[in-house]
Amino acid sequence: MPEQDTRRRPPGVCIPWEEKRKEMPAIRGDEQLVERVWKDIDGLAYMYIWQVLLSF
Amino acid sequence: MSAATETLYAQRLKRYVTAMRNEKPDRVPIRPFVAELTAKYAGYTIQEVTQDYQKAFAAARKCAADFDWDAVVGNMVYGWAGLVQAIGLRYYASPGVELPPDTPFQYLEPPEDEAWMRPDEYDALAEDPTGYLLSVWLPRVSADVSPLGQPTSLRNNLSFLKGGMAMLQYFQGFGTQAERLRSESGTVSAISGILKAPLDILADKLRGYKGLCADLFRQPEKVLAACAALAPHLLEVAAGGADPQKNVPIGLWMHRGCVPFLSPPQFEKFYWPTLRWIVEGLWARGHQTLFYAEGDWTASLQYFAELPERAIVFHVDRSDIFEAHRTLGEKFCISGGVPNDLLAFGTPEDVRACCKKIIDGVARQGGYIMDASAIMQDDTNIENLRAMTDFTREYGVY
Repeated sequence: MPEQDTRRRPPGVCIPWEEKRKEMPAIRGDEQLVERVWKDIDGLAYMYIWQVLLSF
Repeated sequence: MSAATETLYAQRLKRYVTAMRNEKPDRVPIRPFVAELTAKYAGYTIQEVTQDYQKAFAAARKCAADFDWDAVVGNMVYGWAGLVQAIGLRYYASPGVELPPDTPFQYLEPPEDEAWMRPDEYDALAEDPTGYLLSVWLPRVSADVSPLGQPTSLRNNLSFLKGGMAMLQYFQGFGTQAERLRSESGTVSAISGILKAPLDILADKLRGYKGLCADLFRQPEKVLAACAALAPHLLEVAAGGADPQKNVPIGLWMHRGCVPFLSPPQFEKFYWPTLRWIVEGLWARGHQTLFYAEGDWTASLQYFAELPERAIVFHVDRSDIFEAHRTLGEKFCISGGVPNDLLAFGTPEDVRACCKKIIDGVARQGGYIMDASAIMQDDTNIENLRAMTDFTREYGVY
C-alpha cells in the first residue's frame, strides 16, 4: 500500500513552507501567521491542479 | 426559507441518509443522477447547459422542484466548458464547438505515441506527482500553458489567471446552488467531493487506456508505484471536498477497472489495493464513498464486500443488482439499477414493472435508493422518468 508519500511535495502542498521560508528575510512578527497563510494559499494552487486532473 | 420547505428538507435528508447507512427510512428515497436530461426538460440545448453553468444550475433546480425528488446533484453536467476553454484543455470536445450543439461533451484520448504521459515517465510521476502535473502534464494538455524552459506568453499567464478565477467562481456556485435547492424546493444536494481510482486516473488523463494496458504487461511495477504515489493525493482531494457534516457521500467515478477493461486478476493486483486504501482512509475520517460503478462490476463484488460496514453506497449500472444485493446488501446501501435503455425506449408500464422488481428484490429491508443505472442524458423519456418517480413514491413506502 502507499508507503511512500511524495517525498518532495506531500499532499496539499505545491511549494513547501520550509522551502519558501529560506527565501524570506528574518520575520519580525508572528511567523506562524505567515506560515499558515502561505500554506492556505499554496493549498489553493494544489487543489487547482488536482481538480483539473480529476474534474475537467 | 419557509418552515414547510425546511421541514421537507429535513425529512428528505433523514430519508436519504438513513438509506445510505443501510437502514430503513420511511420510504425509498429517489436520487436520480440527471445530466443532459435536465436541459431537455428545462428547454435548454446541451450546449447551453455545458457552456453556461448558471443555466445548468437552473435546469437542475427546475427538475428537482417539478419531480419532487429527495436529492440531486447540483450540476451533473459537471465538466464546465467555460473553464476548459479558459485553461485551453486539449482533451475535451465541447457541444456547439467541436461537437453538434445537442451532443454531450466528450473526452478525447490522443494516439498512444502522443499520450499526455509518456511510457518512460512513471518514475517522475511517482517521485513527485504534483510537480509532474504542474511541470510536465499541464503544458501538454493545455494549448496555452508553456512548457518549462520555453518562453512564456500572455496566453500562458492568462490560462492560470482565468482558470483559477473561473474554478473558484464555479465551485462557489455549487455552494449557492446547494442553498437554493434547499430553500426553494427542499432538495438535498446528493454528493460532495470527488474521487477517482488511481488506475482510472492513469488511464483517463495520463497514459490513455491502450497505453496503460501495454504498461500492465511491460512495466507492472512502475504502474503499481504510480498508483501508490497518486493515492495519498486522491485521498487528500476527496477529503478536501467532502461534506463537513458527514451526511452525504463523496462521489467515486469508476471507469475502466471492470471486465472487460481489466481481467479479475488485474483488478485485484492493480485497481483495488490503492482504491481500497483510499476508501478506508476516507471512512476512517467519517466520510462515505458512493461507488458510481459504471459498467458491470459483478466480478469484483466480493472485494467490495471486504470494506467496513456502511463505508460505501454501491451504485449499480450494468452489474446484476440482485447479485450485488446478495453480496453487499448486508453491509451497504445499493442504488440505481433501472436500465437506461428501458427509460429511453420502454413504456411507463415497463418502467413500473422494473421498479417493482427492484424494490421487491433489493429494498425490502431499507438500504436502497431509486435511480437509473447510468447518468441520464437526453435520451431519457420524460414520461418514463415520471413513472419511475411516481411509482417509487407510491410503492416504496415502508
